[in-house]
Amino acid sequence: MNDFKIILFLCNWGPHTAFQTLQDTGREIPDEVSMIRIPCTGRISKSLLFKAFEMGADGVVLAGCKPGTCRYGSGTATAIENTEDTRDIIGLLGLGKERLRHVTFFPDESDLLLKFLNDFCNQIRSLGPSPMLPIPITESEAISRESLAEIVSYHDAFACQDCGKCSSACPLALIGKPFSPRELVNSIIAGDMDSPSVNKDIWSCLTCGLCYDRCPSAVNFPEFIRDIRHVIRKKGGNAHEAHGGFFQSLMRAMTSPGLKTQRWDWLPQDVEVDSKSKILFFGGCSPYFDIFFRNHLGVETRKILKDSLRLLNFFDIKPALLQDERCCGHDLLWSGDKDNFLKLAAMNVESIHNLGIEEVITACPECYRTLAHDYPKYGITLNFKVTHIYELLENEISKGAIDFKKIDKKITFQDSCRLNWIEEPADLPRKLIRRLKPSSFREMQNNGKSAICCGNCAWTGCDAFSKALQVKRLRQAHDTGSDLLVTACPKCQIHLRCAMEDPFLGEELNMEMIDLTGIIAKTICWE
Amino acid sequence: MTDAQNHKQAKKEIIITGFGGQGIILAGIILGKAAAIGEHMESTLVQSYGPESRGGSCNAQVVISHEMIHYPYVSHPDILVCMSQSGYDKLIQQIKENGTLIIDQDLVRPARELKRDFFSIPATGMAEELGRVMIANIIMIGFLTAVTDVISMDAAQKSVLESVPKGTEKLNTTAFKKGHDYGLATLKGRQKKAAGQAGAIS
Repeated sequence: MNDFKIILFLCNWGPHTAFQTLQDTGREIPDEVSMIRIPCTGRISKSLLFKAFEMGADGVVLAGCKPGTCRYGSGTATAIENTEDTRDIIGLLGLGKERLRHVTFFPDESDLLLKFLNDFCNQIRSLGPSPMLPIPITESEAISRESLAEIVSYHDAFACQDCGKCSSACPLALIGKPFSPRELVNSIIAGDMDSPSVNKDIWSCLTCGLCYDRCPSAVNFPEFIRDIRHVIRKKGGNAHEAHGGFFQSLMRAMTSPGLKTQRWDWLPQDVEVDSKSKILFFGGCSPYFDIFFRNHLGVETRKILKDSLRLLNFFDIKPALLQDERCCGHDLLWSGDKDNFLKLAAMNVESIHNLGIEEVITACPECYRTLAHDYPKYGITLNFKVTHIYELLENEISKGAIDFKKIDKKITFQDSCRLNWIEEPADLPRKLIRRLKPSSFREMQNNGKSAICCGNCAWTGCDAFSKALQVKRLRQAHDTGSDLLVTACPKCQIHLRCAMEDPFLGEELNMEMIDLTGIIAKTICWE
Repeated sequence: MTDAQNHKQAKKEIIITGFGGQGIILAGIILGKAAAIGEHMESTLVQSYGPESRGGSCNAQVVISHEMIHYPYVSHPDILVCMSQSGYDKLIQQIKENGTLIIDQDLVRPARELKRDFFSIPATGMAEELGRVMIANIIMIGFLTAVTDVISMDAAQKSVLESVPKGTEKLNTTAFKKGHDYGLATLKGRQKKAAGQAGAIS
């Protein structure tokens, strides 16, 4: 009996013939190999590769045709890229790159294929079972009227006056999507959970919070939507996950206690950290994003972490890092998966408590909101203070003797929805921006509380209207006459960059982007 | 080092100059009190007397020493604090060669040909931010405490609290801290710059 599970994705054309030859000639194929025949390796996305691990595979092989023999032309090249990206991500995750391989065979290379399979199985056996626990598939739970009524009354959605201010302010509705928060609330109050519009629209909401700002009855629509998502998700509803659900899978995978993530290995040597410090820097998932998007968008959100650490060093703060840092759970919480969010939250807080940390600093607006507000709201007690890096920078800079070098750029600013919600201290990013010395700073048409979202939240419900929203936002940025767009959230960078990659509009929309920490780190100096 | 030199070093002569109404004299009182009561040293204060208290230029001359002070007037200060342009113009020539010059950069623009090093703080601007221009003097005391070693932080803070009107303790403590932090940041910045780390990305 062999407990290992190895998934072999096998291309229909080249290697499958080789595999069939093995079967036809009665050769002994290792027991643990489960073969899945696919039309082309190029169609096995990163999310499918990762899904195999999420479901409990110990090793995954993507076997395709030799370069140049792909029946569809680009299949092999795509498969190589996808495998490389996924390998690097599972490396960071602490699963071990070696568990995923891309190989190519000619139809007549059955001996080579068998030798490879034996070698790979031996290698996996020596590595041992995957530290990732398979995520159990939960039974679908019917939505009870009580649970709905509870959410409706908790958020006081009955207070809706049907005025429609939410729908007339909603960026999605304004961009032309047939989407109305008012209608959505009314349908949910009426208990009409099975209507196709509810099932679709519930995942489209950006949870940017503009409607909440405008609501005269102060119904917290984003949080209302979040809680409804939890119920729908339990029923087994499709969460309209973007990128094939890769990020949700990745974040769920981090709930495995056995995983020893390695997300700090890339840090440059000159960044000073101190494992004994009582101040912790919580990085967030940027390193994963950068690998996932490197061939498509080329984003560099890791730079935000590097620049933040350099800024801390600048002020003589050498923070500790959480070696087994996991996702804060923001995206799971907002895409309906409360159970796994709670698991992540408990694990992160336990690790932080074990280090005896007194203050956690983060540069990610989502991590900040989740750690500082949502963890306590979901009953997780924190023995530490959570500070956004902007607050720390503002404090340190206002102590004085700090100057900023001039930058020959005209800048404008993309608000982060998660920071916009923070009441106190208000509008930190702008305070910091006003200290900078650019050639000019001009606000976009929609700014501050009325700012337009970067198009997506929690990797959910991305569609053509998300793109339209990004296009609108970037055009607003260009209308200010600026040539540098300052952002406050790694996701804004990713999403806006996506619109800049558009084959038709890309050139018109293209604009240099930098995170606020980046521009501060670049220009800050002692007076 | 001879005894005479030692004594010379132990004695600090300070002039705080500004307009009447800025609390220049109060700053002098706080400084002297901190030295006398907090640090158990000798101190004297001479204030310029006359139309100054109605808004003209004014100054407080403070001497702080470990020994008995025989003469309280200061003509060549070790530390010159300028909170007005006229005060600066009048006294800049008299500061000792290795003395410390401190200015409120919102009120004083040092001469371009000024060769000596000096400390500057936007004390009045910071006081405005705190809501009361009047506390610029306390911010200045905080700054002076940080950048010079005449009196200790504790003594200065205590002396501030004893000297300000009742009910304004909190505001004055904030102001003192702000000035002190600014001073520490200034020193740190100088140290970092000397070590060649002027920016965050080297």
